[in-house]
Amino acid sequence: MSLSIDRLSVLYQDGLHSIQALDEVSLELKPGVCLALIGESGSGKTTLGHACLGLLPQNASVEGKISLNGQQIDYNDETSLNQFRWNRLAMVFQNGAASLNPVYRIINQVAEPLIQRADIGRAEAMLAAAQALSELGLNHDECNRFSHQLSGGQIQRALLAMALILDPEVLILDEPTSGLDAVTKTIVADVIQKARSGNKTVLLITHDLEFAVHNSDTITMLYLGQIMETLPAEDLLTSPLHPFTLALSRSYPAMSTARDLGGIRGDAFYRTVHQHGRQEGEIYKHSHIQSPGSGHESSHAPPTGCLFQNRCTQALDRCRTEPVALEVIGDHQVRCLRHGIVSILDLKQVEKSYGDVVALRPTDLTIKAGEVFSIVGETGSGKTTLAMTAAGALKPDNGTRVFDGHDMDEWIRRDYKSLARQIGVIYQSPAESISHRFTVLEAVAEPLKIHGLCRNSAERLERVIKVLAHVHLSTDKAFLGRYPHELNMGALQRVSMARALVLNPSLLIADEPTSSLDPSVQAKVLKLLLDLQIELGLSMLFVTHDIGLARKISDRLGVMLQGRLIEFGPASLVIDKPAHPYTRLLIDSVSGLSQKSFNSRSGRVEPGGCPFEPRCPRAKDVCKNKNPQILERGHRSVACHFPLE
Amino acid sequence: MHVNLKNELLQDHWFVVGFGLAVLFATVTLLGPPLAPFDPWDMSFAPISPPTAQHLLGVNDGGQDIFSELLYAVRNTVAFGLVSGLVALTLGVIIGLISGWFGGYIDTVLMRLADVLLAIPAIMILILTAALLRPSPVVLALILAGLMWPTISKAIRAQTLSLREGLHIRAAEQIGGGNWYIIRRHLMPEMFPLYLIGFAAKARMAMFMEASLAFLGLFDPSRKSLGMMISYALKYYYMDIWWNWLLPPIGCLSLLIMTVTFLAISLEKVLDPRLKETLGERTA
Repeated sequence: MSLSIDRLSVLYQDGLHSIQALDEVSLELKPGVCLALIGESGSGKTTLGHACLGLLPQNASVEGKISLNGQQIDYNDETSLNQFRWNRLAMVFQNGAASLNPVYRIINQVAEPLIQRADIGRAEAMLAAAQALSELGLNHDECNRFSHQLSGGQIQRALLAMALILDPEVLILDEPTSGLDAVTKTIVADVIQKARSGNKTVLLITHDLEFAVHNSDTITMLYLGQIMETLPAEDLLTSPLHPFTLALSRSYPAMSTARDLGGIRGDAFYRTVHQHGRQEGEIYKHSHIQSPGSGHESSHAPPTGCLFQNRCTQALDRCRTEPVALEVIGDHQVRCLRHGIVSILDLKQVEKSYGDVVALRPTDLTIKAGEVFSIVGETGSGKTTLAMTAAGALKPDNGTRVFDGHDMDEWIRRDYKSLARQIGVIYQSPAESISHRFTVLEAVAEPLKIHGLCRNSAERLERVIKVLAHVHLSTDKAFLGRYPHELNMGALQRVSMARALVLNPSLLIADEPTSSLDPSVQAKVLKLLLDLQIELGLSMLFVTHDIGLARKISDRLGVMLQGRLIEFGPASLVIDKPAHPYTRLLIDSVSGLSQKSFNSRSGRVEPGGCPFEPRCPRAKDVCKNKNPQILERGHRSVACHFPLE
Repeated sequence: MHVNLKNELLQDHWFVVGFGLAVLFATVTLLGPPLAPFDPWDMSFAPISPPTAQHLLGVNDGGQDIFSELLYAVRNTVAFGLVSGLVALTLGVIIGLISGWFGGYIDTVLMRLADVLLAIPAIMILILTAALLRPSPVVLALILAGLMWPTISKAIRAQTLSLREGLHIRAAEQIGGGNWYIIRRHLMPEMFPLYLIGFAAKARMAMFMEASLAFLGLFDPSRKSLGMMISYALKYYYMDIWWNWLLPPIGCLSLLIMTVTFLAISLEKVLDPRLKETLGERTA
């Protein structure tokens, strides 16, 4: 039995402006398949569920159609709708306890649909209800309790039993796991499993990303009533294509991610539409996105462009104005003008030597918009050279560099300054990267001066103060007049962060920004850096020798050895299950214990052989002679002949 | 500067002495003509007479007032030294910065030129030029400056090469700072002590050179100069004139050179605190 939703729009009328809950949403639900609908609160998930059952309030105006098995449902015909509601299409409502009647025992409420809809005798119905409840793990006593006497998990079971009692063809679950502990969640998972194998159609409305990944086939991302991306469930946490999907998956505390929780910059609560009467025959719509704290002065959502653009990490000017439709990319459907998440930086086969010292062997490096990529490695492995090559400050001997879709070398020749505005760099030593003759004000204003972005010193001062406030530094006159040697390291590193951020770059390159700080200051500075990364929508290349640190901050991670990235992929994957023996060594060495299983001899590396061969316990003859190519394995890439499983 | 310049300087003996002398010579240089009791070219006095209340240092062989002559001579020597020293410093700094910052073949060309100039003895060129072409003192000062800049530019270039690897300069480059910006805002302020040393050395050399040329009689004889005074006084040294005619110009020349040296040492020390220990002044 398939449920198809065709261009469904729902507007809630509310005085002058109406709230746009759904905007031309089309979904196709097939039997035996579970589709998960994911979005922030206010994205219209529940409205969609209610619309399917015809339960929308009076002030909702609905456009579009919903059909079951190709037959359009007529929501004006209450009697047939009533028949159809529990028999063919059942819903488990959010906030379970509130949808149960407190003066009836649970078992009575579960039996009720049977009695009402299926014309079954009371005694028989009670038996069937008890049976259904016990299947979900409620015993006889619990069945006879009132709803307020049950725990949240038991109520959820009762609701599931109620929804399933008439064996409907379509099951809609609205946040079935919210408020449930992990163990109780598995009962919901079992129900979904069973429904799928019973060839039922399941619509799972949730914000529990990991649950959705494991219990659904397809996931649809809803943002302010619009579908942003539809993707296979297993791709949600590993390879999303829409910036919204990525940002949301980064906000979710999945067990498999090690990075500190991200979040999405900005807020959006709901979307309103003002109707200013008719202009030339069509309703002139004026749309706003309401966000908390904005009161009535809401942020102006683009009347025509992408709804997500003001929170997006890769929005262009045209994202504001050009309408976007869903397009098919592989097995995803994506609503993005830029065809999904773009790479902000793409280095291909870059090489660099200083005289006869080879600092960088042919290496690829891709940084996606809005992500934090960490490079980890020993000293002298070429991390800084790679970072400076990425920053455009070093010219590679070979290889191509592409920044934001443009050839970087060509860009540098044509107009280096405009490229420099896009890339901010934070150096390892703040004391050295700021001239000791500059005051805080002069140091932070220097980039503005060089680029001549401010007409006068008052405007410059205003921007300096703004960026200093961003990095949580004092903005009073006395502080602005301080010299670097009068500040402590933490404050100084924030000044250099302010310097890197004052031009509003889109890529931030941080070269060991915390190595000169003690752990407590380091923690503060890093937290600030990551908050800024999210708030400003930056992409970041983070260079560090501390793999523990990299684990906490990066989305993706690359391990460098002798001028080459030998393994890179999602940070959690690389750290939990390293594929290269060298990565294993790095992780195991964090504690400072000597690593007996690795050879400590720094034997001669055969030219053309694997650079880790002398130390590698898994090395065979082939490693001596042949440097392994980077090969993709799952979601990561690794250069090893005998990768660890 | 992050130091309390005034207090630091006033505690420094080198500076106090140097500054006192500098004030004296500056007064003489600026107010020489009105201070002079007589016209130094006036030959109407009794030749070779000892000092009197009227003629503080007596009268020379030509019947001219020695004190007035000395005031004019100091003025000429100081002016020559300053012009020559400043021009040499400017040339040296500009060439050193360009050479060190841009490197490559600009560096090679400029530094080979500097090597050539270093190999030529300045005094020889000056004597030949002065004798054959009889240029004005200003032209001679400029020629001397043109011969003196290489040592300054070598020092500036060396410092530039070391500074350009500094992180704050590379950061400024990465931000997009142009060559001129980096030279002006990052390189030039860092090398202040070098300017002082360079200027002091060259001004000293120029003053001494001026005196030498005048001593050899290579200047217009009517131009008052310390060297010329010494030279004339030496002709009559068998008479008892050494203390009133020979000593004053020699003393002035020595004091002038000491003034410049003292000031350079003290400023350098105060502006670059790292030098304090090497000069051992605080403990001495």
